Amino acid sequence: MKRLAAVVALLGMAAVSACSSTDNKPAATGGAAAAAAVYTTVDGNKPGIDPAGPANPFAPKGNSFSGYNAMKLAWVKNHLTDPNQFYPGIAESWEIATDNSSVTIKLQPNNKWSDGSPVTAEDVKLSIAIAYTQGNTAFTQVPGAAGSASEVTVVDDKTIKVTQDMANPVTTFARGVLDTPVVPAKLWSSVVGADIWDKIKAARTEGADAEAARTYLTELGKKIIAHNPGQDLSAGPYVLERVNASAALLKKNPHFYNAANVAPEKVQLLNFTGNEQVWNYLIQGKLDSSPFVAVPADTMTKIKATAGNQVIKGYSPVVVGLAFNQSKAPYDNVHVRRGLAYLINREEVTQIASPEGGTAAVTTSGIHQKAAAEWLGAELGNLEPFATDVAKAEEEFKAAGLKKSGDKWTLADGKPWKVSMHAPAGFSDWVAAQENIKNQLIKAGVDAEVVTTADFPLYQTEMAEGKYDTGFWLIGLGPAPYNIFQRIYGAANGWANIGGKVTHNAPGKNGNWMGSKEEVEVEGLGKVNPGELTAKLNAVSPEEQKALMLQLAKTANADLPVIQLWDYVNTQFQNTTRFTGFPADDSDLLRLPHGVWIQLGLVKAKS
Amino acid sequence: MSELILETSTASMRRNFWRGVWRVMKRKPSRMAGVVILLGFTVMAVIGPLFYPENLPYDPNAKYAPISWEHWFGTDGQGKDVWAQLVIGSRYVLLSALVTGVITVVVGAGLGLFSGFKRGRWDTVLMRLTDMKLTIPGLPLLLVLSTVWSFGSAIEMGLVLGLLGWGGVARAVRSQTLSLRERGFIEAARGLGLSTTHIVGKELLPTMAPYIAMNMLVAVTGAVYAQVGLFFLGVLPYEADNWGVMLNLAVFGGGAMTTTAALPYLLAPLLAILLLTLGIVLVVDAMDEIFNPRLREE
Repeated sequence: MKRLAAVVALLGMAAVSACSSTDNKPAATGGAAAAAAVYTTVDGNKPGIDPAGPANPFAPKGNSFSGYNAMKLAWVKNHLTDPNQFYPGIAESWEIATDNSSVTIKLQPNNKWSDGSPVTAEDVKLSIAIAYTQGNTAFTQVPGAAGSASEVTVVDDKTIKVTQDMANPVTTFARGVLDTPVVPAKLWSSVVGADIWDKIKAARTEGADAEAARTYLTELGKKIIAHNPGQDLSAGPYVLERVNASAALLKKNPHFYNAANVAPEKVQLLNFTGNEQVWNYLIQGKLDSSPFVAVPADTMTKIKATAGNQVIKGYSPVVVGLAFNQSKAPYDNVHVRRGLAYLINREEVTQIASPEGGTAAVTTSGIHQKAAAEWLGAELGNLEPFATDVAKAEEEFKAAGLKKSGDKWTLADGKPWKVSMHAPAGFSDWVAAQENIKNQLIKAGVDAEVVTTADFPLYQTEMAEGKYDTGFWLIGLGPAPYNIFQRIYGAANGWANIGGKVTHNAPGKNGNWMGSKEEVEVEGLGKVNPGELTAKLNAVSPEEQKALMLQLAKTANADLPVIQLWDYVNTQFQNTTRFTGFPADDSDLLRLPHGVWIQLGLVKAKS
Repeated sequence: MSELILETSTASMRRNFWRGVWRVMKRKPSRMAGVVILLGFTVMAVIGPLFYPENLPYDPNAKYAPISWEHWFGTDGQGKDVWAQLVIGSRYVLLSALVTGVITVVVGAGLGLFSGFKRGRWDTVLMRLTDMKLTIPGLPLLLVLSTVWSFGSAIEMGLVLGLLGWGGVARAVRSQTLSLRERGFIEAARGLGLSTTHIVGKELLPTMAPYIAMNMLVAVTGAVYAQVGLFFLGVLPYEADNWGVMLNLAVFGGGAMTTTAALPYLLAPLLAILLLTLGIVLVVDAMDEIFNPRLREE
């Protein structure tokens, strides 16, 4: 379950950055398909519904459900290579300046809050002020940060313009803007305060006043997370009716701009605390749809056997890799990392750990194989595939100076060597994968162990503190190219990108637990600084991005800061007994909350 | 001469005791079954793991294989034999349970006897200490401890469970001691000028032995439940071939509660725990009669 939540959260995180004008419109249905039916599903981002939670989209235990009664300006498609494609949300359309200097957003002309009052540009402006307190790539308190907004202008009641600080622009600026949650000013202005924009302006300068303003905004951010607006005022297709420990029930918002095409009268979001509960719901045919959930093969067969259930698969911009702490011997030696890559049979690992939710990585490129095919083209085939080859592994280990004593590999000085792999305890597929890798390595004479950590936050903390030799690490979090490579050549590996200036922290300092060398020698490329190349991805043209992506993929393939194990497959479930019109395999809609399918008018009640 | 008579008498008492034990065991076959079960588990834990390699062979093509002659309880999600894991895992479970039982009894009975016999200030101090100990909720404390302690060895686990579990025994033994110390035979021992060590060790302790022994076995059962539960909940670090981890992986990884494929993987450790508990209950029944003369049917 934890893994489900983490992956869904990371998918959301991957959706951070923006571009072109669009004429995306909700699907016309040609008639009211409003059957009096209840659509039942689960919200993968909200395991453990809290009946006492406020209707606050910023509260982790709040009862605002994204896509249903919580809305964003637009819904990011997570296209394979273009991070700036969206479906409409609060915004009907958007226009991005050719030089990315601004984005002008036109709101849905007929959209209203659930009390009947119109959604205005002032609501959006206040929501942007809140975004500054919560952290967002476009709305950041850090002075001079890349891709941040310099000005927010209300053009008219339904139009707002956000301008980028061109001192340090990024191509994904519009994405950061359009990914903003929108809340009603009438319920939130009191907590935000009238002087919020003065504080934001002050925070984005230097000096003592600026520091005080930043502290004020950080504290305000905490207040916003804890705020209880008292009632649910929704600009989405639904509004909260009631919630208890087993489910949240939402009723249709008749004032929603596309209410005529919203088929289900109500939506029921069932509570779950573990994957097995979702499996049971699916087997019982309770769910009309379910987001990604890891499912054992036998359970999958049973789910498929339920009348109306169907399994849909799509692209998921998430990859899992075995990451090394290069501050620790012998992982500082590239030959050791390469030797291990030759020993690990990735097909076997995927078969054991994630047969339904993953595809074995074709190689280590740092990019999900589907996106890699788009970014790298034929060059993907030229990368070293690291197919399982014990002889090559032995060569690499010998090149690293390791010794074989009997049938066991030891360190160069003859001391025992044990590959210690870490994973959070609740991530059953990660633990299963590591157990399989352990078995494979032991079979090849490399001693290994699996060590679990109580929970994911502790795992992240200990990993950042450099306590682990190796551990699983999510990479390739696309589609924005910078987001893809910052997972392996970003802060966790020493490169800090502040205000567009890239600096490198020594291993063990400021969260650098991966500890790669600052410059890497790559065949055909010479000396490469991968952190600087990654930072450049933010600001260059798409063609230049392609060239940089290839260089970075080659670097990741040669230097192996991680061994790419499997690329996640977005396996979802739909039940066509009560509703139809669901997105098909490989649809970009599979990467969005199911409430977005409904609000766009795609889901129809079965007649 | 007198020494010879004393030795002969002691040997004769010992023989009589074991004859009594044998008679008690024979009277109900279930008691024999209990002993056989406990002996079986002891052999399993002591010798069983020697029959298997340090790292069990696995077959990725035989995930959750059904029960067969080759795999008595099928295989797990890695294609490893479940029976072999059960045997290897029994060592950790039983060793830690034994350590728990010993610590519970030694600390609990020791404090209870001392406190009850001495009374006065010692009694007050030790019993307030015991009361404080009894107010600490065991499971939440274990959950907190598990974040800082990995319980890597069975002895560590047994030590912690034992130190959390002696309070009840101490209270109960003290009550028994307070009652017994007023009896005639203790009065007589005092009158004869026998030492406190003699009175406690030779007069009081044997009288309470059945009660203490039963408490030990109950502590063993509790320890098995507690540690398996902690591993099942996933709050303790992963240990290959551990009964609790087997249960966890069967339910959360194999879907044993929704489908039948991983059911043998789930049932194997459950049956083992059930059988172990049954063995303990049956032996406790026998011990009750062995040590309690009023229940003995001569």
